[in-house]
Amino acid sequence: MKRSWLPAIITFGVILFLFAPLVVLVVNSFNASRFGGEWEGFTWNWYIKLWSAGEVWESLWITLKIALSASLAAMVLGTLAAYALHRFRSWLQNVHHMLITLPLVMPDILMGMSLLALFVLTGVETGLLTIWIAHVTFCLSFVTMVVLGRLQDFDFTLLDAARDLGATQAKAVKKVLLPLLLPGVLAGGLLAFTLSIDDYVITFFVSGPGTTTLPLRVASMMKTSRSLPMINALSTLLIASTFLFAALSSRLQRRV
Amino acid sequence: MYRPILCMDDFLVIDHVSKTFGAQRAVDDVSLTVAQGEAFSLLGPSGCGKTTLLRMIAGFERPDSGRILVGGQDITALPPELRPVNTVFQNYALFPHLSVWDNIAFGLRMSRRPREEIRSGVDRMLELVRLSEHARKRPTQLSGGQRQRVAIARALVNRPQVLLLDEPLAALDLKLRQHMLMELNAIHEQVGTTFIYVTHDQGEAMSLSDRIAVMNAGKVEQVDSPEHLYEAPRTSFVASFIGDANFFTGVAVELQHEGYVRVLVDGLGSPLVLSNGAVSANQTLRLMVRPEKISLTLTRPPSGERVNAFRGVVEDMAYFGSHTRYRIRAGEHSILAQMQRSRFSGGDIDPARGAEVWMSFHPDEGRVVRLEGAA
Amino acid sequence: MSNESRPARQWLLTLPSLTWLAVFFVIPAILVIITAFRPADLQGGVGPGWTLATLREVQDPAYLPILWRTLWLSGATTLICLALALPVVFQMARVGQRMRQVLLLLIVIPFLSNFLIRIFAWKSLLHPEGPLTKLLIVLHLIPENAVLLNHVGTVLLVLVYTQLPFAILPLYAAAEKFDFGLLDAARDLGAGPWRAFSKVFIPGVRRGLISASVMVFVCCLGQYVIPQMVGGTSDEMLGSKIAQRVFSDRNLPHASALAGGLMLAVLVPMLIVVLWQQFGRKEAE
Repeated sequence: MKRSWLPAIITFGVILFLFAPLVVLVVNSFNASRFGGEWEGFTWNWYIKLWSAGEVWESLWITLKIALSASLAAMVLGTLAAYALHRFRSWLQNVHHMLITLPLVMPDILMGMSLLALFVLTGVETGLLTIWIAHVTFCLSFVTMVVLGRLQDFDFTLLDAARDLGATQAKAVKKVLLPLLLPGVLAGGLLAFTLSIDDYVITFFVSGPGTTTLPLRVASMMKTSRSLPMINALSTLLIASTFLFAALSSRLQRRV
Repeated sequence: MYRPILCMDDFLVIDHVSKTFGAQRAVDDVSLTVAQGEAFSLLGPSGCGKTTLLRMIAGFERPDSGRILVGGQDITALPPELRPVNTVFQNYALFPHLSVWDNIAFGLRMSRRPREEIRSGVDRMLELVRLSEHARKRPTQLSGGQRQRVAIARALVNRPQVLLLDEPLAALDLKLRQHMLMELNAIHEQVGTTFIYVTHDQGEAMSLSDRIAVMNAGKVEQVDSPEHLYEAPRTSFVASFIGDANFFTGVAVELQHEGYVRVLVDGLGSPLVLSNGAVSANQTLRLMVRPEKISLTLTRPPSGERVNAFRGVVEDMAYFGSHTRYRIRAGEHSILAQMQRSRFSGGDIDPARGAEVWMSFHPDEGRVVRLEGAA
Repeated sequence: MSNESRPARQWLLTLPSLTWLAVFFVIPAILVIITAFRPADLQGGVGPGWTLATLREVQDPAYLPILWRTLWLSGATTLICLALALPVVFQMARVGQRMRQVLLLLIVIPFLSNFLIRIFAWKSLLHPEGPLTKLLIVLHLIPENAVLLNHVGTVLLVLVYTQLPFAILPLYAAAEKFDFGLLDAARDLGAGPWRAFSKVFIPGVRRGLISASVMVFVCCLGQYVIPQMVGGTSDEMLGSKIAQRVFSDRNLPHASALAGGLMLAVLVPMLIVVLWQQFGRKEAE
């Protein structure tokens, strides 16, 4: 049967569209020109400047701390949630399922705004803790969905088999369920980690003094034209690490 | 390993066991005994309760009432991990994250056996199922038949007193199934453990087991050897589930000595059949004749006391190579008959569609059966 | 396993996430709506007592054009994203397993790089001295003095750019399950490629289409960073106003009234969709 070339051409165009701005960023990060309109020669200058911008690295450290702890918490909560959603059918799980789904479609600004309202009304000082809470909240749903997908492929007869072979309930979970679920949990954690590192809007609402995460730092750098070329360099580093991460997570997905 | 000579006749005892799911009585007051070393089948259509019964023996379901004993020990309240019973699951349930070797070693490790014993036990089992060279592979790298053998080895290595096999051949294609059938019999012969098969396939049950329990709607209809189930089914359910059967309804008109009864069947005269238990005169009865027990002739067979004969018209026929099947109309009755060509006594011409033929069967081949559920 | 039906187990497994979401998702959402009825205090907090004044304030007709702009930008973004995503997922589902993985990765990677950085990238691409502007001027596609930035069209472009993966991923999940033999059957029965695509493929991925539209539309409704960074002063969206009330005017009740309105507008249709899907989940069993 003759196939139309149109979808292939559109797909190619879309990928070009997705990558064009990023390519410009990467190229500009090595461009001696400050505004990147024209190629004025190759330079490492912006990377050197970035290296000595201490506040950027401090922000990176804060971001990593939050991302790591928030995705760990989301992994634990999300795995329990996914297990409950998969194993039980009841009104409780219907409510549970709805609460897990809604944050996925809640616009960021509303989630930021409502958490801010909570912290203002309860008198909680905004800072590291409030950012961490916000990040766990929006990561939780994503982790649950990824693990739930894994559980749907999991053959629960394997647990019966383990019991049949002399494993207690706890042993069966530890020796069979957890090892087989681990790639899914890690993939969910990785997604949570990326989302946490990336978040700007929600963090902006619940951040306080001294908690400038990397996206907040980038936003403030964008306001001063002097530091614009440094953003190019920083972006290139971030895009490179995204590639690394994507490769790592697709390796995890492929493992049985 | 050898087959124990001294058999305990009631090694596995199912004692008035019932289980209800919601409104459905999955297993309804079932009692069975299985001898040590026996190969026993639970046979029945899907939903008859055989799988629930198996899961109760394995410990995955708790009976609502009744007891289950193995070797004199009451295991009804034991969790699956403490029972002297192991299972070969329908889809084998091999652990995909473990190698073949580690799958087989799983049970021994759970019971914390010494290293040396685990090693020798697993290697011996690998030899038994002829998979020694695949020990390091993952289950996903094996064929269906090989996975099945891993599942058997993984269960047997724990030296269970009873091995449960849930539809062991269902996941295999036809050719492999024939092969694994022989293999299972050989393994059973070699290890001598009590095997309990669950299957919906009568052919599988007949060729695998010493005795079969035919189940229907949560109840056991009949427990017997394969030959007895086929030749002397007690209920019409058993007769129709195992092999093909013609059924007729009639009234007992004459009770004879040695357990024969003459039954008046509308349109077929009054054939003489085995009464298969006590019947009384004028009782309405159901009788059964297997298709291959009916002889077809073009001419009337020599009449006599010991032959039931009646006429019919060939409605339809199908050739199967080894035999030919005929559908014959006689009044309101549509009768199935099966003939090997060489046995056709009317000469070498087959009866064609529309031909008038004589059907006859020996009184020993016709039997009174009870309606299902009346067991 | 029979002992898993014990209610205690279920509660034990459900409570951690359920409590978390109740405290940090449900209660805050309710608080936003409550705050709309409280007076503002000068420190950016909430004063004592109750008032309806804020509700009267947000009925300001000046909000109408902003509301309208928010709606049409979100609607247009959704339509453009779907129009681009449908052929892409169609292509992805038809190619081989390896190529499919590569395409998926190519689509996800830009989506995983930082949101701000992606907007920044467009800023430098569309900059008056940036490469794209210069190229278009050389090609005589735009006049010499054209400015590509700070325009409502720019906002739309960047909205599409950031939301496109949200449209592709749910559609891809649906297309992966689609039986492509149906397309051959349609062609066999005399449908042209376009009719086979529109009459068989699009209805076949209907569920994915619905979730993709909801995802994109709802995400757009709350945007404020994009109009703030690449739009002009007259291109504000509803989100811009909420952010402005919180951070510039420090008027939390006013921001809450706006956010609460938006939240009801988002959550009520969402609840209907979720309930409908749960009904479908039950039906499928």
